[in-house]
Formats: sequence, structure tokens, C-alpha cells
Amino acid sequence: MDHFAAAMIAFGIALGGGAIGAAIGDGLAGSATIQGVARQPEARGTLQGIMFIIIGLCEAMYFINVAFGALFVFAIGK
Amino acid sequence: MIFLAAEPAPVNHPTIDLGCGNWCTFNYDSLISSGLSILITIAVAIFIASRLKSDRPGRLQALVEWAFSYVRVTSREAAPDATDYVVPLAATIGFYILVANWIDFLPITLIPNLHPANTDLNQTLAMGVVVFLLVQWYTFRVHGPSGYVRYYFLDRPHDVPMPWRLLFIPLNLIDEIVKPVTLSMRLFGNLFAGLLMAYVIVLLLGSQPYVGSWLVGPIVLAIWKLFDVGFIGLIQAFIFMLLTITYFGLAREGVEAEHAH
Repeated sequence: MDHFAAAMIAFGIALGGGAIGAAIGDGLAGSATIQGVARQPEARGTLQGIMFIIIGLCEAMYFINVAFGALFVFAIGK
Repeated sequence: MIFLAAEPAPVNHPTIDLGCGNWCTFNYDSLISSGLSILITIAVAIFIASRLKSDRPGRLQALVEWAFSYVRVTSREAAPDATDYVVPLAATIGFYILVANWIDFLPITLIPNLHPANTDLNQTLAMGVVVFLLVQWYTFRVHGPSGYVRYYFLDRPHDVPMPWRLLFIPLNLIDEIVKPVTLSMRLFGNLFAGLLMAYVIVLLLGSQPYVGSWLVGPIVLAIWKLFDVGFIGLIQAFIFMLLTITYFGLAREGVEAEHAH
């Protein structure tokens, strides 16, 4: 297997694994927000702000994976 | 198909070598765009400061005061004795990152090889290391010389009895060392992946000459740019600012517990 194919496979694994993790994290944050709003409807504004922060933190891991995947493909796989 | 602003490949930064090896080879595109962001940040800050009125606050002043009071309240909750320097630091970092992200709305890609500043890991790592060093200095100041050592080796976590705490020493150290890395990689990864996505959109739609691709391509690109630069850029600037404050708050861990005993 040459370098480029190995780098592409690594990119795919990084993308897929990162997407799984980010999706689970986003889902947990969203479900917790829904529960919180259902219990305390007046806390909706605060909870939405916190939810976006958590989602940003979760998605960041995925984007780091994307950046590393691009590093594999463009820099190492050449 | 030709786009109005063709996206350059975001991977290779053009470098300029001043003639003494690795330590003075610079990615001059990041230098230019970060310099541009700094100038815009200072100009906007001076503009806002010149428009401040205490008797009749305008809409802009209300927005700025709301954001600034959020930073102040958050840092007072996190680190009450450090608000003097945490508030300016966090507000400046957040505002600068926001400007450096939103500078992508300007057609700076018309200038060849110019990327937004935060798509370079060196740029974000610089900010992460600055925050890390300041947090170390603050930890040293709060806990004192012996407390600084105990903070990493003996004092944490507080609810675990003494012999078991020794097991946590490597975790404490890793926890601390990984802070600037995650801080900078998070910002860099988000912005870089957004730029990469724009590049892929141009590549895909530009290579498929079907009817109307000259119309679909720019629309898709504009929607993506709005989401990525506008929304993710704002969220990441906010998260960077919030984590800066949070790290200062975490450095105080144990101070209140000592006073309670």
C-alpha cells in the first residue's frame, strides 16, 4: 500500500470516528437542554447559551480530527 | 467555472526566510492578516471608545456594555482577585479572535495566498501559550512557592485520601500541559476545517460543468461561509475567551478549601 492510500484511509477513519463522537456529544447536550427547558421554561435563554458553548466544545474535537486528517492527506501522504 | 473569489488551497502557507534557519522563517500570509486584524481591532475599539456617552447610550454602546459586563461578571465569579488583568486579557482575546475570524467576510482571498490569521496553528498556539504562561504565573501567585508545587503533586484531588493522590500526579501534569494544546488546536481546527470545506466546495462544483453550476456554486459557498465564518467563528471566539477565564478560575482550586478548614 502506498503512502497516499494509507493517508486516505487514515483520513476516513478520523472523519468517521470524530463524527460519531461529536454526534453523541451534541445529542447529549441537546437532550439535557430539552429536559432543562421542560422543567424550568424560564431558564430557556441561559440554557441555550450554555448548550451552544457545549456544542462548540464537542464539535471542536471533530474539527481537530478534520485538520489532522487534512494533515495526513496533504502533508504526509504526498 | 470561475468563482468571484477563488479560494486558495489552505494547506501550504507561503514562507519568507530571513536567512537564519527555522527560527526566523515566517508564514508571511498569517503575519499580514493578523496585522490587518490587529489594526481593525484597535480602530474599532477607538471608534467605540470615542462614541461612549454616559447620559444617552446608543445601541452600539449598549451592545458593547452588555458583552463587557458579561466578561466582568464571569471573571468575577471565576477568579475574584484577578479581575484587574483577566477582564482586559479575556475581552481583548475574544474581540481580536472575533475580528480575525470575521475578516474572512472581506474579500481578502483576492490577495493571493492570504488566509485568515487563525487558520495558522502558529497564530493560535501563540495565544494559547500566552494564556498558559499567565495562568501559571497566577497559580504561583495565589498558592505561593510551596503551594505551587503542592498544587500539582499533593493537593489534588481534594476528596481523595492522601496515598491515593499520588496516583493522580501524572494526570494533574497532563491536565495542565494539554491546556494550551487543546485551546489552540480547537480554534485552529475549526477555522482550518471551514477553509478546507470552502476549498472543497469550489473544487467540486468547479469541476462539474452542469447547467446552472455558475449559480449554485457561489450560493452554496456563500451559505457555507455565512455558517462557518459567522456562526462558528463567533462561537469559537467566545469559547476561547470563556476558557481563558475558566483556566484562571481553575488555578484557584484549593484556596477556598484551605480557608474553610
